[in-house]
Amino acid sequence: MAATPRGQAITAAEAVRRSLEGRERTDWRSPAFHGLLVLLLVLTLGVLAWLLTVVFLNGMPVLLERGPDFLTAPLASQPQRAGVGQAIQGSLMLMGFVVVLSFPLGIGAAVYLEEYASDTRFTRFVNTVVRNLAGVPSIVYGLLGLAVFVVALGDLVGPGPASGRSLIAGGLTMAILVLPIVIITSSEALRAVPASIREAAFGVGATRWEVVRSHVLPYAAPGIFTGTILSMARAFGETAPLILVGAVVGGFSVRYDNLLEQLQGRYTALPTTVYDWARKPATFEGNVYAAIVVLIVVLLVVNALAIYLRNRFERRW
Amino acid sequence: MDVNRRWLRPALPITIALALALAACGNGGGGAASGEGDGDGGEIFVSGSSTVEPITNRVAEVYAEDNPDFAYTVEGPGTGDGFALFCNGETDISDASRPISEEEVAACEASGVEHVELLVAYDGLSVITSAENSDIDCLSFLDLYALLGPESEGFDSWSDANELAAELESAYGTEYGESHAPYPDAPLSPTAPGEESGTFDSFVEIALTDIAEARGLEPTTRPDYTASANDNVIIEAVAGSPSSLGWVGLAFASEAEGIRSLEVDGGDGCVAPSDATVADESYPISRPLFIYPNLAAVEENPAVAAFVDFYVSADGLALAGEVGYVPLTEEQGQATRDAWEAR
Repeated sequence: MAATPRGQAITAAEAVRRSLEGRERTDWRSPAFHGLLVLLLVLTLGVLAWLLTVVFLNGMPVLLERGPDFLTAPLASQPQRAGVGQAIQGSLMLMGFVVVLSFPLGIGAAVYLEEYASDTRFTRFVNTVVRNLAGVPSIVYGLLGLAVFVVALGDLVGPGPASGRSLIAGGLTMAILVLPIVIITSSEALRAVPASIREAAFGVGATRWEVVRSHVLPYAAPGIFTGTILSMARAFGETAPLILVGAVVGGFSVRYDNLLEQLQGRYTALPTTVYDWARKPATFEGNVYAAIVVLIVVLLVVNALAIYLRNRFERRW
Repeated sequence: MDVNRRWLRPALPITIALALALAACGNGGGGAASGEGDGDGGEIFVSGSSTVEPITNRVAEVYAEDNPDFAYTVEGPGTGDGFALFCNGETDISDASRPISEEEVAACEASGVEHVELLVAYDGLSVITSAENSDIDCLSFLDLYALLGPESEGFDSWSDANELAAELESAYGTEYGESHAPYPDAPLSPTAPGEESGTFDSFVEIALTDIAEARGLEPTTRPDYTASANDNVIIEAVAGSPSSLGWVGLAFASEAEGIRSLEVDGGDGCVAPSDATVADESYPISRPLFIYPNLAAVEENPAVAAFVDFYVSADGLALAGEVGYVPLTEEQGQATRDAWEAR
């Protein structure tokens, strides 16, 4: 029983009501903190909205005027002829390398580390190394790609006039760049599968292969695919390593008879094209913004695909 | 069973995306592909000056329109980087915004790369200030030395250079143009290309070297200026402060907003930069642009020879005008063709 200073008794219900309605005391910190959070959100979104508005306002005139021509035209010395056709093609092929190489390798490594490897000093060391590799700046991977793929393996990945600066060299560099991220996101997804699911499967006599294949992977799949597709978006946006390993910054035309010759030839990508055009005289300004719009739209599509897949395959237990 | 199939399903969209990517590439290349399969025969690789890159690219684009089997790569990392590749035998042609240096000649000789120097166009360098700056209309080489030369280190205001300008004027009179001192009492923070740039070399060579050597100093600029490799960044910085100073290529300055190109006096009076004044050499800060074909590549690869033939033809040389540079006159073009024939 609470009592007021005057000694009048009040009921417990009355005390709770007063407390809830704040009659007894007003805690100004709560609304202040709430306000601060809203302010931070508005600031963050405001910067983003401002950036997108500037890019779209400046890019749309070129896109509307040129239409599909801008999306298919090659790099060129004059802004009214230059387009992102070669760049979109190169970027998609680089993503192809990431899908074909990093995803199987990365998911495989994660399954091994999480499901098969015993918790020894060595596996803990490997885990630490992978985590550190994910934080290494991308330019360092560019230098690695330059030393290994362009210089040491140049005759293999890009014989002839490309002298090593081929799509294969760029693709392999991108694949290595995102590999640690794929391993980490896949590991997290596997770790999120409740141990009870594994135990139940083992309990009815399943082998480790059966447990991983029919129980762990299906439940981890949405997480794994969200992570891998986001890492694909990361590869799509990388610029610096590609410039080091020889994405064309300037202009080129290609001539090849088959896929192998194309893979061994020169290429360019969307972000390197943005970088290139931003260095050119102001006549290229509209093209720069239009190329950024294309880059953003493609990235949004990839991210939307990630969200769709995650929702589509989400399961509950 | 249901579970087994389901977890495989996300693989499908990814496989489709990959297939689409490969298909898109196949289509894109279809037009350019040729069935002849003659290896490296029709392919050339050009690197070097980022200033010359648009000219060579334009020439290659036009040439490729009439020669569907011709394939090219033209890049612009910089004149020095270009010669490093060139003397290593990696490129067929090197673009340059200055003549090849003695060290680079030695490097080329060491690896047996022979070349010929071909003049292909002229480029002017604009001395720029903010569009808001109405105090200055013309600067002479003497003024530029006083404001930007090696002895101007630490000058935070234009008026800090008054004393040096007076000293130069009493020593050389109007040999390097009239002094425009006293300068306004306004902050001076120059922004200009960095030392790795051909645009830096050309400016020092043309505007500062004579006075520096007359005063017994190493020809260079003041060390305390903001350097950028990106001409648009320089233009932004110069436009952003009302009493700024800098220099960029004429092609960049003439397209930019917020800045003003100053007249320059090299000893024969103030001249405003324009295509006409650069072409007739009355504007004092203009520089020649070159290409350097590798003679061994010219012998081995008919595509290189045919490409340079087109480059130095009257039609080819005229293309420099389309991308913002000053084309050679008929006489200069003939001299270039003679040099090419005499290789």
